[in-house]
Amino acid sequence: MRKLHMWPSETCGAVQIIGRDMREKKVEQYDVVIIGGGASGLTAAIYCGRARLNTLLIEKSLMGGLATYTNEIENYPGFPEGIGGLALMELFHKQAKKFDVKFKLTDVKSVDFEGDVKKVETFRNIFECKAVIVGSGGRPRTTGATNEEKYLFDKGISFCATCDAAANTDKTVMVIGSGDAAIEEGMFLTRFAKKVIVSVIHDVGKMDANEIAREQALGNPKMEFMWNTVVDSFEGGEQLETVNLKNLKTGEILPVVVDSCFEFIGYEPNTEIFKEKLNMSKRDYIITNEVMETGVPGVYACGDVREKELKQISTAVGDGAIAGVEAEKYIAETEVFANQIMQKERIGMIYVYSAIDAPSREMLPMMQEIEAAYGDQVKLSVIDQYKGQRLCDRLACDVDPMTIFYTEDGEVVEISSECDRPSIFDMLNKLVAKPIEQTA
Amino acid sequence: MQEVMLDCLGEACPIPLVKAQKKLEELAVGDVLIVQIDHSCAMKNLPEWAREAGHNVEIEEVDDGEWEVVIEKVK
Ligand SMILES: Cc1cc2nc3c(=O)[nH]c(=O)nc-3n(C[C@H](O)[C@H](O)[C@H](O)COP(=O)(O)OP(=O)(O)OC[C@H]3O[C@@H](n4cnc5c(N)ncnc54)[C@H](O)[C@@H]3O)c2cc1C
Repeated sequence: MRKLHMWPSETCGAVQIIGRDMREKKVEQYDVVIIGGGASGLTAAIYCGRARLNTLLIEKSLMGGLATYTNEIENYPGFPEGIGGLALMELFHKQAKKFDVKFKLTDVKSVDFEGDVKKVETFRNIFECKAVIVGSGGRPRTTGATNEEKYLFDKGISFCATCDAAANTDKTVMVIGSGDAAIEEGMFLTRFAKKVIVSVIHDVGKMDANEIAREQALGNPKMEFMWNTVVDSFEGGEQLETVNLKNLKTGEILPVVVDSCFEFIGYEPNTEIFKEKLNMSKRDYIITNEVMETGVPGVYACGDVREKELKQISTAVGDGAIAGVEAEKYIAETEVFANQIMQKERIGMIYVYSAIDAPSREMLPMMQEIEAAYGDQVKLSVIDQYKGQRLCDRLACDVDPMTIFYTEDGEVVEISSECDRPSIFDMLNKLVAKPIEQTA
Repeated sequence: MQEVMLDCLGEACPIPLVKAQKKLEELAVGDVLIVQIDHSCAMKNLPEWAREAGHNVEIEEVDDGEWEVVIEKVK
């Protein structure tokens, strides 16, 4: 019986009393957890998987994201004849599977990014990991018109022409919007529907779509345009029957009898669960730098969920690749930092220098000589500030080159800019079990 | 508490969603409905509808292009 293995707490009497919300969640560990299985998340997964990181990707609905909503993609390189959105994303998914990425189809309910171990929580699990990549993308915007909620989910309002076109064969449909998606998907719908009525907010002849699409649409005999209009309300019984449009110029309400209504008026980011946890723009997109860092160490964001200029598959892919590589670097660096730089076996001496600063560079041989003089009592680590700024950041200290951090049991006990031989010997002799004579 | 299988294999939108909504109405709180689907369109609306309605949802990909949407009725 499936329930047994899905939700064990439900089936054993004692636990059942506690109630479903107290159901114990299973904890699993991964190197990286990727939230979202669109173009950006799947690309990040390919990079992480290929780098042999133990990678989990969580997607709440259909693998492939928003790209699966479109019938034909003509601008993604590598497919000169064009390719269907679903077909393209199936290829992405297949490629990620090849690199041993694990997939879970459920929605992420909350995240905890504080500390080195990040937590990603779903309804049945808590996934602990070293790095998180957010590729949660966007969802179609709704009009907010009266009765809209009543007709969502197959009651007449749709956001996906490829999904619902066939069901509208020989029907009359309405399209809301005049951008590329609205006009291109509207033209696709004319292959099935007998009439496609487009509600455009702008003046006669004006659209947000590109010029080619606009001209094709205006010449399409099955397409009809209602200029200067927005949706006022949706009416009907169980199913949508009428869309009441409002003419913005005259205020007049224009009832239009339709079988379905497709809304293409832009997108909203899926960022609710990251509120207060990641930096966001005014419009609630996640702010990152050019290497997809969110400002929280080990947490990256990529694709349409980022505040950025061009939201397309090709840019989502670029973002995902960068996020994957950065997560890999971060994890490797975390390990070097914990296991080597902050080692606990010996007294540590961490020398910060800069490859572009000659005096600090020239002291390296002396440092090595001092380490050797102490035998196995002291371990020297060197950090090149020029290349390893992020390692310096982990020491949580903004210092000039020629600084030494002394550690004991993996904790910094002293920070000093005195890099002359006697000072170093003095310091180390205070820390080691067996002090030694200063060497020449 | 019972577990009910709903076979929607071979059915395109909107049928799986409509069938699942009907079936779920007949079930009691705590029951589990497992909807078998193999049309990707249903993956876009069925889980989202069920979550918005407040139920717990997890999906298993049983084969390439074939899924079981597991819905636990919460209210
Ligand atoms: C109709 C239409 C036509 C388009 N045409 C083109 C085109 O021709 N060319 C082009 O390049 N681009 C096109 N695009 C844009 C393209 O689809 C997007 O740029 C691309 O999908 C972005 O990918 P993404 O991975 O950033 O986000 P998305 O594709 O939005 O993927 C994000 C994924 O994260 C999941 N998710 C969100 N929150 C959670 C959570 N809490 N837990 C688990 N999973 C979660 C979502 O379910 C979704 O699958 C089109 C988009 C649409 C809608």
